[in-house]
Amino acid sequence: MTLSQWIPQMGEGCLLTLKLFFVTIVFSMPLGLCLTFLYTSKSAVLNKIVGFYILIMRGTPLLLQIFFVYFGLPYTPFIGKYLTISDRFTAGAIAFILNYAAYFAEIFRGGLLSVDVGQYEAAKVLGLTESQTRFKIILPQMFRIALPVVSNEAIILIKDTALITAIGLSDLLKVTKTIVNKTTNISAFVVAAFFYLIMSYVLTLVFKALEKKFSF
Amino acid sequence: MEMIKVENLKKSYGSLEVLRDINLSVEKGDVIAILGSSGSGKSTLLRSLIDLEKVDGGNIYIEDIPLCKDGVYPSKKEKRRILSRMGMVFQHFNLFPHMNVRENLMLAPKLAKQADKAELEKMAEATLKKVGLLDKIDAMPNKLSGGQKQRVAIARALMRKPDIMLFDEPTSALDPELTGEVLNVIRDLSREHMTMLIVTHEIGFAKEAANKILFMDGGYVLGFGTPEEIIENTENERMKNFFAKIM
Repeated sequence: MTLSQWIPQMGEGCLLTLKLFFVTIVFSMPLGLCLTFLYTSKSAVLNKIVGFYILIMRGTPLLLQIFFVYFGLPYTPFIGKYLTISDRFTAGAIAFILNYAAYFAEIFRGGLLSVDVGQYEAAKVLGLTESQTRFKIILPQMFRIALPVVSNEAIILIKDTALITAIGLSDLLKVTKTIVNKTTNISAFVVAAFFYLIMSYVLTLVFKALEKKFSF
Repeated sequence: MEMIKVENLKKSYGSLEVLRDINLSVEKGDVIAILGSSGSGKSTLLRSLIDLEKVDGGNIYIEDIPLCKDGVYPSKKEKRRILSRMGMVFQHFNLFPHMNVRENLMLAPKLAKQADKAELEKMAEATLKKVGLLDKIDAMPNKLSGGQKQRVAIARALMRKPDIMLFDEPTSALDPELTGEVLNVIRDLSREHMTMLIVTHEIGFAKEAANKILFMDGGYVLGFGTPEEIIENTENERMKNFFAKIM
């Protein structure tokens, strides 16, 4: 097996990795934001429920959660057959989204707490409604404050995607491992490392640019 | 018409009474300096008038409309309508850091549909000109000095065309050499007969720019009268001591 054969295969693996990355980001960030709203709402019951959700999601391994969604849910008593997700990618993506939403919820909550109380007061005395204050004043500042931490989380995610290998999907890591087995040569691992590095580096640049654009 | 009327206002934090039976009447065009040592309740009183603090009892009337009756407030919408007659300036400016000066000025009137965009643009320019900062219209707040930030904050409050302006220690966070430019803007407003309440430690400014002084101590109003009555000719030992120490 030659380099010209396995590079395209690894490219396809990369595409799956990127697909999982984007699907997770696109769904987990809004979901995380909703969780933040519930977590910081006036309802003590909602606070507790979200707090418990975050505890479970952050307190157990993502790999276990992936196994749970793909292999575990079908065995749920009585309703198992309705919870069966036969598509591996969908099952994996759901686990990733649920897990990362918990982290984003905490990150956004931290950002929210960092917005000065004077901003709420200024908005109030200027006659803004609560929702105008939230969307025009507080959220833009919260995102700006959270951006460096979101960037960090995104870089962790691009590498975490490799966990999807465990349910048999041909992501970059899985493809690479197969090639190494066939070629009995470690160079594919080095190339894979290089691919992950490039993806992380591009992400770093993107977030640096975002931080600059939204600096104040 | 009384611009503000306060009757038997009470507020406590737990067992600490911060406002005890406050009565106050503010006439149109009054410039009232609120003086007193820290913890005397002057900021709390000012913030109560614009609903940043909830009071426990008593009445507040803004232009004869009750904002609070026996500690009971009207609906959010009604409160917003009453409070739209007032503007407030804070010690720490509280400009919106993610918006430039123009956006800071235009956001609230735009959301309130106070006028169309072109009209608001013109108004923003005119208001900034008044505080001497027209050249900063496109600047972000973090590029401004403290004095400039505070003048933008005043302009932002004026955009809502308030009848009453409240100032909570507007110069306390500024370097001494920058307080003058802010006090000048407040002086200009008093010449236009804007009704103002100013919590301040600038006794000299209070004496010269205010027509009335409200002196607070331990949650009580200790004195309310002209600057001569309060600052120069008071018989009250507590106030005498305060002014002797400061001047």
